[in-house]
Amino acid sequence: MSELLGYLITGLAVGCGFALVGSGLVAIFRVTRVVNFAQGSFAVLAAMSASSLLTTLPHGLAELTAVAIAAGAGLLVGLIAIGKPGTTPQASLIVTLGLGVFAYAVEVLIWGDQPRSFAGLPGAVELLGARVQTHYLLIIGVTLPVFAGMAVFFTRTDLGKALTACASNPYAARVVGIDVTRMGVLTFGIGGALGGLAGVLVTPVQQISFDADVTLAINGFAAAILGGLTRPAVTLLGGLLLGVAQALVAGYGNAAHQAEIALGLMLAVMIWRAVRRPAQLEEPV
Amino acid sequence: MRYAILLAAAAAAVALPSFLDSDQLAVFILLGLAAMVVVGLSLLMGYAGQISLGQASFYAIGGYTAGLLATAGAPPVLGLVAAPAVAAGFAAVVGIGLLRLRGHYLAFATLAMQLILLSVLAQAEWAGGAIGLQGVPRFSIGGFELAEDIQYAYLTLGALALTLVVARNVVHSRAGRGLRALATSETAAAASGVPVGRYRLAVFALSAAFAGLAGGIYAFYLGYLGPGSFPVLLSIEYVVMAVVGGLGTIAGPVVGAAGIVLLVQLLNDLGTRPGMPSYAPSVLSYAVYAVLLVLVVLFLPRGIVPALGDLRARLGRGRERR
Repeated sequence: MSELLGYLITGLAVGCGFALVGSGLVAIFRVTRVVNFAQGSFAVLAAMSASSLLTTLPHGLAELTAVAIAAGAGLLVGLIAIGKPGTTPQASLIVTLGLGVFAYAVEVLIWGDQPRSFAGLPGAVELLGARVQTHYLLIIGVTLPVFAGMAVFFTRTDLGKALTACASNPYAARVVGIDVTRMGVLTFGIGGALGGLAGVLVTPVQQISFDADVTLAINGFAAAILGGLTRPAVTLLGGLLLGVAQALVAGYGNAAHQAEIALGLMLAVMIWRAVRRPAQLEEPV
Repeated sequence: MRYAILLAAAAAAVALPSFLDSDQLAVFILLGLAAMVVVGLSLLMGYAGQISLGQASFYAIGGYTAGLLATAGAPPVLGLVAAPAVAAGFAAVVGIGLLRLRGHYLAFATLAMQLILLSVLAQAEWAGGAIGLQGVPRFSIGGFELAEDIQYAYLTLGALALTLVVARNVVHSRAGRGLRALATSETAAAASGVPVGRYRLAVFALSAAFAGLAGGIYAFYLGYLGPGSFPVLLSIEYVVMAVVGGLGTIAGPVVGAAGIVLLVQLLNDLGTRPGMPSYAPSVLSYAVYAVLLVLVVLFLPRGIVPALGDLRARLGRGRERR
């Protein structure tokens, strides 16, 4: 029983990481209709930056700075991917793919090609008879308020409302004076921050290497796909589900099959959605 | 004019291997194999409008098919014939599900397919697991063994020519016109009587067959296969080559593959010069793939070969006016 609880908590924590990456994808997709392949790179970039910053800055400040760096990288990716007028979402997708590879060059150049990690919250706590590393609780404790904050941001603030307007009808948004492209670039910044947050939160419990972005991006995408890439709340649920499923498979079965479970689940959900709805509705041309 | 360029290129390609040393021959062979994969990918992306980020999985399947058959004692020719057949068969089966997806969904799905395949291969005892499949015998046909690299260069060249001819004939056939209609608008194509689903699946399988054939040659040439030989990055490299060369052209894939392989090779030489840090070659090659892909997508969206065609047409028009 306590074993199960332990797996559940680690799974929820890892799932929070997927959900953060996925919600970054969702934030960007809603406004720009671009699926950002560089989403995993933000997490890697932030994690690597934090590992360097921690040599001089205290905990907290270093992680926040790293998230800010990832947000900056997000803005840059956004500018390149959608800044040029007339770039189609399909072309932007390939551009973000290229920028993800470019991130490899930068990361290897600065940090080398060995996996890195840094210390998180030390110690472990006893929860209903299960020993859990405190850091897992921190991940959950940070992610849930972030999602709540996002919900408030997108529905209650002017900027958030403007972004939601762009997401629901770009043409009408432009008519009322919202600069849709600028909003799109801004969402890349938000996506960068969310990805970066996932990176700094998860790295203390899972080493991260420069090419970890593919796994992160695909798990984030798997989480986001449950909500059709447009609903952050469902993305959180999807991420948690995915994390728990992987933790249970790793705990009771074979850890080597974790990846197949997540990917198989994602494929099943995507194909099921595509079969239920005609393709033309899924992707407006 | 067109045929003259084509003939000159073909003659140069045939003459070239005899002037190359063994390192250069290796580059030549890998370039040819990459071009074969990219011909299929370009067909898929340019004519059928489908993006695949898992094309290296078909390359891997072809390689493993040939390798496993050959190490089990089957005649190598059988392995080389089976490689594209198995890859195409796999694509046809997986495609039934995957090809219901479009655009970025398909991109992620094909990426997922490759990750699953790599994970399965790494755990499969019968395929050598994570260590890989060693001791694949050299290719032989009717008692004549291909022992020299130069013979593999010509085998590759022959196979590349075959894929190019098949691709050209497909494009210029009735089915090819259907495909082009499909890439522009699925609804319109379906309304005009193009069997949309069947054509998409057929192109997917054909592109897999090209990649599988290339993988088969790769297995016999190197004699070693491992899950690490087919990383996700390889699939992305194929996309870069296809996009840079120009989607939906026959010459584009060859130009794209040649340009990028040679450029990366050049930078690799620079990066391994004494005094350069050990990470220089990988950093340079990542940067090249990334920068080329982004620049071409943003500024030459149709790729190099069509852009050159446009330039020639414009120059020609300029001359007429004068």
